[in-house]
Amino acid sequence: MKTFKLGGIHPAPSKITAGMPIEPLPLPRRAVLPLAQHIGAPAAPCVSVGDHVGRGQLIATAAGAVSAPLHASISGTVKAIGEVDGPAGYPMAAIIIEASEADHEADTVARDRRLAAEPQVVAADRTPDGIRDRVASAGIVGMGGATFPTVVKMGGKTPPEVLIINACECEPYLTCDDALCREYAPQIIAGVGLMLTACRGRRAVIALEDNKPEAAAALRAALGAESRIEVVQLKTKYPQGGEKQLVEAVTGRRIPSGCLPADVGAAVQNVATAYAVYAAVECGMPLIERVVTVTGSVAGRGNFLVALGTPLAELLRGLPDDCEVVLGGPMMGRAAINLDAPVTKGTSGVLVMPPAPAPEVEPCVRCGSCVDACPMGLEPYLLSTYGRMRMWDEAAAARVADCIECGCCSYSCISSRPLLDYIRVAKSALRRRK
Amino acid sequence: MPAIITTIIILGVTGVVGAVLLYFVSRRFRVDEDPRVESIAALMPGANCGGCGLKGCRDFACACVAAGRLDGLYCPVGGDAVMKTIAGILGTDAAASEQRIAVVRCAGSCSARPRMYIYQGPRSCAVEAAAGAGTTGCAYGCLGCGDCTDVCQFGAIVIDPATGLPAVDPARCTACGKCVGACPRGLIELRGRGRRDRRVWVACSSRARGAVARKACSAACIGCGKCARTCPFGAITVTDNLARIDASLCRACGKCIGVCPTGAVKATFTMPKPVVNENV
Repeated sequence: MKTFKLGGIHPAPSKITAGMPIEPLPLPRRAVLPLAQHIGAPAAPCVSVGDHVGRGQLIATAAGAVSAPLHASISGTVKAIGEVDGPAGYPMAAIIIEASEADHEADTVARDRRLAAEPQVVAADRTPDGIRDRVASAGIVGMGGATFPTVVKMGGKTPPEVLIINACECEPYLTCDDALCREYAPQIIAGVGLMLTACRGRRAVIALEDNKPEAAAALRAALGAESRIEVVQLKTKYPQGGEKQLVEAVTGRRIPSGCLPADVGAAVQNVATAYAVYAAVECGMPLIERVVTVTGSVAGRGNFLVALGTPLAELLRGLPDDCEVVLGGPMMGRAAINLDAPVTKGTSGVLVMPPAPAPEVEPCVRCGSCVDACPMGLEPYLLSTYGRMRMWDEAAAARVADCIECGCCSYSCISSRPLLDYIRVAKSALRRRK
Repeated sequence: MPAIITTIIILGVTGVVGAVLLYFVSRRFRVDEDPRVESIAALMPGANCGGCGLKGCRDFACACVAAGRLDGLYCPVGGDAVMKTIAGILGTDAAASEQRIAVVRCAGSCSARPRMYIYQGPRSCAVEAAAGAGTTGCAYGCLGCGDCTDVCQFGAIVIDPATGLPAVDPARCTACGKCVGACPRGLIELRGRGRRDRRVWVACSSRARGAVARKACSAACIGCGKCARTCPFGAITVTDNLARIDASLCRACGKCIGVCPTGAVKATFTMPKPVVNENV
């Protein structure tokens, strides 16, 4: 079985919500929709305060080539367009919608009907340009967490030799992609087919790790007569879901420093993005909800279908008083201090960790564990020291920009040194200097 | 011939040949250095702090000689005295520069700003700022991990354990500006020392709306604009819910200090009339 060669670690999978069905979370009464839910220019609001908007209505348009539009995730009145606190406590621009009782009821009925019945198939334009237009106007971005506008990745001049659909979900705890594959395999296959058509590719590979046999079986069963798509299982290893690691695992080609998957003839899209493409093209659904895993030491664990803009607090039923909340998985996720912050297009999971004392940081013993673990072939102990000593030029020369921030170095450090934290400092200092 | 004689002859000849070769090589590749560089470098404080914007003191000396003038070149550590001597060596005039000092634009001490969250990461402001808005409700204020202290070569800025905020020692601060670049929140500003060391500044950087800022910190500037209306010289402007005092217009009269409802306006002198404000 294939995997990537360099580095990698095997953290405890802790997929405690695996096999739990996707449960629709009640729609929120108040939705906070940040304008920058994607990489690139923030969307430009096209509604004003006091306007009544319907669920799925366009409320902000894409501002520039690398940007994505935004749609109302609930019906209601636009209460405010301004700054709200984000998950880390930093202010961010957002549109706030509040639903009246009637709005809320109508939305809930409509959603339940859509979920219960076969979705209404609209007359879709399935030409490459038609699909791309639809994907762009539906505001679809990479849903694995990087949130890069999907249509930009589809619009390359030369079609990719292979389109890789990332269903690895290598982060411990997270199961949202697994659940999606199990329950919506035919829709995902259709979505991948649409993506292939849009980028004029001939072959697609859906890559899963071998710890998700049920999802792989469901996808294989749904393949049917679709001969362009293949389901491949990879040997479980973190960070297999990293774009560069995944391309290497599937094709055997290593992406050189500073290059993109397209440079080795590959394109990578997340499996949840494939589902969103299906929903946008075949059912006319813009990206207004996503599957979020709620996991860790919290009572209401599970995989939930959540409307974007739902406050995190509404996902966390039975939250203990003293705990840490992490957005994303335990390896790459970021701590959230403000639970009024909303679920966004890139929120794959909400992880609750019990309080733990900070580990005792010991001096580096030059054991080289971090070097062995680094999937990019870097020297994390060195980069981290450069970051701490503010030696930006030396850090740049040691290829700090290649770091994918997977956290393997910090995980493997026997002295519990916060290696990645200081590497991030160096990376952001160099980005600011540019 | 005994071996020792052979050895001496071989080594002697090699030495002479080498010396002759080195003599011609050194003539051919000689680097002419202006003697003024050496004399200027000897005058420099030798802190190599980078406060002038160049790599070190010798770099600064080279730059002075290369330019022949002192436009845009100033050693904040040596100050006007050193610059005057350098100007004498170069035979030019030194523009007297205003003496400056680092000023911390945050007054969110431990008592003014209640801690709401626990931060367990490494003790570095840069890391803490990347992780989130800090342990208090203010996303703009001092994080207190002391990145400014770490970069200061003069020991002029230290975290005061009583307030948890950096305190600048006016006797040691050379206004090299290293702390300005080190603060991830951009709280530190170089301001003119002012006549007779009298200066007034707004010790807050919060651009949050007044109510939000006040909730997080009792010493926050709430952007009420009372100081701007009081200032007889029009030195104060309020933008983004934050008052700023233009040091070039401020005459350090101190009228704004008394009217500030939160005590966000700070000064290096005390007003003759005591100000009634429980938060100061």
